[in-house]
Amino acid sequence: MATVIGGIGSSHAPTIGMAWDKGQQQEPMWAPLFDGYVPVRQWLDDVKPDLFLIVYNDHANRFFFDAYPTFALGVGAVHTQADEGWGKRPLPDLPGHPEFGWHLARSLVDDEFDPTICQEMSVDHGVLSFLPMLTDSNWKVPVVPLAVNVIQHPIPSARRLFKLGHALRRAIQSFPRDLRVVVFGTGGLSHQLSGAGYGTRNGTWDNQFMDLLETDPAALSEVSIQDYMDRGGTEGVEMIMWLAMRGALGPQVRRVHRNYVAPLLTGYGLLALAD
Amino acid sequence: MNIAVQGGYVFTGEDSARSYRLNKMAVSLTSPENRVRFQADETAYMRSFAMSEQEIDLVVRRDWKGMMDYGASIYLVIKIGGSVGHTLPQIGAHTAGMTLAEFQARRGQ
Repeated sequence: MATVIGGIGSSHAPTIGMAWDKGQQQEPMWAPLFDGYVPVRQWLDDVKPDLFLIVYNDHANRFFFDAYPTFALGVGAVHTQADEGWGKRPLPDLPGHPEFGWHLARSLVDDEFDPTICQEMSVDHGVLSFLPMLTDSNWKVPVVPLAVNVIQHPIPSARRLFKLGHALRRAIQSFPRDLRVVVFGTGGLSHQLSGAGYGTRNGTWDNQFMDLLETDPAALSEVSIQDYMDRGGTEGVEMIMWLAMRGALGPQVRRVHRNYVAPLLTGYGLLALAD
Repeated sequence: MNIAVQGGYVFTGEDSARSYRLNKMAVSLTSPENRVRFQADETAYMRSFAMSEQEIDLVVRRDWKGMMDYGASIYLVIKIGGSVGHTLPQIGAHTAGMTLAEFQARRGQ
């Protein structure tokens, strides 16, 4: 039987990937961010996961508004990299896990979640910006990506994402083969990309969010989308993806590592929890 | 219930419908071949997407704030930026009514 061995919440941003590719890991502005990933990578090396299930959001790279799915699940054997408009990064395609992907599709639909099932699922920085910091970029761990619409309103509630996490846990625990799964929730934390409030961050809220995610995620699941945006900026609403990760874990978790830095326009959070 | 954020743009379905052709042209720029075609003749390229003169003018003038006021998605606007050499910080500052230098000076960066 498959098991959830832990969860990781991480911010994602094109900037992180660009800085990594340029080799800026030791530069004063970036070292506090990249150093935060080192203990989490060590933990992953120790617990040896067989699969990453990554709940993230697409940024109009795989999907466009001709048909924008609220939830979309990648079940293919390979996930290519999307060109986001400024060229691809030097990364190989990601391996998928069709056997688990189709099991997850069946389990979610049985559980009243109805994702668009994608045999081709190119992924953007929502998956790829932080991943090279956590594994070798020859991708030794296969990935099943689950995209959530948080860019074209109406978007699902935090409560819905928390319940999605519960459904992910049931799906993993009903997979008939041994598989050690780490669930990711990516996005946020506070940031706002346009308007008079461009560049707004809220470190107090970001840290309160990471506190509560660990100890009282149900309280975060009751916060409205309006409140997420009022506290963390329009794009800070991506934080709800972390609720899916937390919902996939049991009530009691052990914190492996936590990091928070905000060198530029986004509050960059990282939280690794063992189930 | 209407959703809105002070000092920001919340991209709704209604915005998406209004700005559809502009966003559709922008998403085409995720192809390197299309970026070259766009750069060779922006206006002709945009006309091939049946964009209105108003929409074309917003792009020609690099009026990022105007595009956001029109209802475009920031994620599509930055793809146009990618093709014309404007970065997210430049675009974001413009939508706040500032140049990038003014924005950075205000932030002490």
